[in-house]
Amino acid sequence: MRPEPGGCCCRRTVRANGCVANGEVRNGYVRSSAAAAAAAAAGQDFVSLYQDFENFYTRNLYMRIRDNWNRPICSVPGARVDIMERQSHDYNWSFKYTGNIIKGVINMGSYNYLGFARNTGSCQEAAAKVLEEYGAGVCSTRQEIGNLDKHEELEELVARFLGVEAAMAYGMGFATNSMNIPALVGKGCLILSDELNHASLVLGARLSGATIRIFKHNNMQSLEKLLKDAIVYGQPRTRRPWKKILILVEGIYSMEGSIVRLPEVIALKKKYKAYLYLDEAHSIGALGPTGRGVVEYFGLDPEDVDVMMGTFTKSFGASGGYIGGKKELIDYLRTHSHSAVYATSLSPPVVEQIITSMKCIMGQDGTSLGKECVQQLAENTRYFRRRLKEMGFIIYGNEDSPVVPLMLYMPAKIGAFGREMLKRNIGVVVVGFPATPIIESRARFCLSAAHTKEILDTALKEIDEVGDLLQLKYSRHRLVPLLDRPFDETTYEETED
Amino acid sequence: MATATEQWVLVEMAPAYHLILEGILILWIIRLLFSKTYKLQERSDLTVKEKEELIEEWQPEPLVPPVPKDHPALNYNIVSGPPSHKTVVNGKECINFASFNFLGLLDNPRVKAAALASLKKYGVGTCGPRGFYGTFDVHLDLEDRLAKFMKTEEAIIYSYGFATIASAIPAYSKRGDIVFVDRAACFAIQKGLQASRSDIKLFKHNDMADLERLLKEQEIEDQKNPRKARVTRRFIVVEGLYMNTGTICPLPELVKLKYKYKARIFLEESLSFGVLGEHGRGVTEHYGINIDDIDLISANMENALASIGGFCCGRSFVIDHQRLSGQGYCFSASLPPLLAAAAIEALNIMEENPGIFAVLKEKCGQIHKALQGISGLKVVGESLSPAFHLQLEESTGSREQDVRLLQEIVDQCMNRSIALTQARYLEKEEKCLPPPSIRVVVTVEQTEEELERAASTIKEVAQAVLL
Repeated sequence: MRPEPGGCCCRRTVRANGCVANGEVRNGYVRSSAAAAAAAAAGQDFVSLYQDFENFYTRNLYMRIRDNWNRPICSVPGARVDIMERQSHDYNWSFKYTGNIIKGVINMGSYNYLGFARNTGSCQEAAAKVLEEYGAGVCSTRQEIGNLDKHEELEELVARFLGVEAAMAYGMGFATNSMNIPALVGKGCLILSDELNHASLVLGARLSGATIRIFKHNNMQSLEKLLKDAIVYGQPRTRRPWKKILILVEGIYSMEGSIVRLPEVIALKKKYKAYLYLDEAHSIGALGPTGRGVVEYFGLDPEDVDVMMGTFTKSFGASGGYIGGKKELIDYLRTHSHSAVYATSLSPPVVEQIITSMKCIMGQDGTSLGKECVQQLAENTRYFRRRLKEMGFIIYGNEDSPVVPLMLYMPAKIGAFGREMLKRNIGVVVVGFPATPIIESRARFCLSAAHTKEILDTALKEIDEVGDLLQLKYSRHRLVPLLDRPFDETTYEETED
Repeated sequence: MATATEQWVLVEMAPAYHLILEGILILWIIRLLFSKTYKLQERSDLTVKEKEELIEEWQPEPLVPPVPKDHPALNYNIVSGPPSHKTVVNGKECINFASFNFLGLLDNPRVKAAALASLKKYGVGTCGPRGFYGTFDVHLDLEDRLAKFMKTEEAIIYSYGFATIASAIPAYSKRGDIVFVDRAACFAIQKGLQASRSDIKLFKHNDMADLERLLKEQEIEDQKNPRKARVTRRFIVVEGLYMNTGTICPLPELVKLKYKYKARIFLEESLSFGVLGEHGRGVTEHYGINIDDIDLISANMENALASIGGFCCGRSFVIDHQRLSGQGYCFSASLPPLLAAAAIEALNIMEENPGIFAVLKEKCGQIHKALQGISGLKVVGESLSPAFHLQLEESTGSREQDVRLLQEIVDQCMNRSIALTQARYLEKEEKCLPPPSIRVVVTVEQTEEELERAASTIKEVAQAVLL
């Protein structure tokens, strides 16, 4: 059950968004005066490259608060980061660097769940050695002459980590989805995709040519109804049976912080003989007692998931993606994946970083560092979420998810929150339309094992202040604050305020 | 007011059956408005039991079809150690004629040192997309340097070469727009076009007459419907040096056609960046064309620059749009800083020694000449292309058989320490599948003696296998 703000908050948000429509009136003036200039610039009567209505939102809302995004940094994206200061004298249409560096900003925006974004330590040393030996690039594809022994080593390790028969690694997480889903399904197949799936899954599904049907976010009744209807009625119009049905879900949804209901999805998949494609971009390394992801979190068998996909960007501090599954699946992908045939393979130092960090998480490097990081992340998550709820904010998502969306709702508060937090030396990520529904703008915190309790407490104090300043404490439930035993497992009572 | 009262009087005086009939009709209309709409499916008469039986009986295909054990692409060559000039492939030491390491920058110590310095400062990964604390000063530097090098206003970098052009095309061309693309365009361009959902019109490879014909036909269509034509954007997508054929595109004629028919040009320069032109600026410098005539240049940094990733450059007005609409830019983690630093150093080296491009050109010419006249194989590609193909002069009739023959040649060359590879394609996915071929790549690190040896080895092996 999602907490909802009061009705008048919704009305105010809608009205605020409506005010943006004023931009249309301004546009009229701007258009007529700039018409001459535009005609000269567009030149020689080509059809204009952009239509007015396509970037209406960009010009009128995004541009005004653009300084909250694309903030350039100049240090490791760890628990604290150095941000390069920018100034704009023309309302964010262009930026100038002042040369100042805002040092030691608490980083609540980078996907650094297990804290492997480091420039010292065993991972960095191993990567440096491999860089010296192999160089930075590869200059060829996997099927031609870009398959290094390092890649084979990595794939074998990933398979062992996930508990599957075989795995294959790719150079970019986004491309892993967009290039492999078309290899698995095609015309005559059905894809059932969650409402809030990532752009890479949507693009992969579109490029495959299969029919796509969307079920409500994490809603098992909606999914079951779609499955039943698909099998009973077959393809539209011809009524032929579907060749195969593929369910696309994510482990943790990055904008909602919710965890997929995996046991129910697997039960449905087995009942209706569909195939499951699980995208663990955010959940690998971040969930589960030993960081093996959402399958371990629910205590399920990795063999029940047909295609386990994930990325190395978030919990392993590297880049790239992987797919794990049965040997037949991986053999097929080795021969038919678009990435293996046409795209360059992973860079060797990046591969070494993944290998070292994965061995660390598995405990194979001889230390207990991996286990500690996984535990620290779980503790940080529980603590942070509980404290925010106590303060009275509306937080979406599952209790154990390290992605914490804090609802802002009003479009003006997006800019205000981002800027206020930066003034107090905390870097946060704020998101609005079109990444979220238009009245559900939010700030998203990504917790990390690198965050110590002091850092979290500082951040919480500032969030509390800003929350009072901007009137963000929408929650109508007030939790009774527990005594200072932050990692207690007992349930608490909710009292109505 | 007087008429109103008159009307009421009339109603009261109307006959009773009339009022009753009208009343029944009104009630009937209200009932129809609120009753459920007629659903075709609900008339399908399937009982719950029948539905359950259908669900029981349905058998899906297996997720993937089985792959035969002798599939030519199943077992990859394993390269132990760096894929540089002298590499160890499948346990045998060979001279590398298969990696796109044109300028030999893969094992350049300066490039490695720059990447190492960046690794020591930033670590490996960026842990975020460009919008959310994934923009490093190294990325901004690299974009700046690339824009200055190519003499354009702005450049944008992507973290994956394939995703560069595949995200750039759908950012501009949408449903309803028209794209004229060469038949020999590479797979990344094809995927970009598929994602854009625009109308695709293929013209014969490098055939400007065919392209003009298509453009004229489109012009006639436009005159029939001028309102639609005013909002339909037109693009021509070509490659500088084609990966699949090793030929160069006739850019001067394309620019003329651009201005005549008002279509924008997108130029893909993955193979020609760092190869053609006096300073390595690509096919525009080679022909001496003003870079502002090309609307978008896209290239990957995985060939001449020996790094990972790709970039697009052009006018700010065009490139800035990708920062919000390029899918591979907005929704993907940014390029690891060590790879960006390696690319910057590679650019530095390119700017400091512009002589290497002439050296590369000469070597290409040399091996091109040396490989002419092999019985059974023909050279496909121009003499200034560092990556060209060797195709069978006469196909056996079946593609599988051709592939097997060429693989035999490649294997034997490998045994004699010349590392070659077949050009790999996805046979069922390509729009215009090129014939099977062996890819030969020339780099500046190959000495003249090595080039001669490679040519003679290929000649001998081809003779042995094909005759």
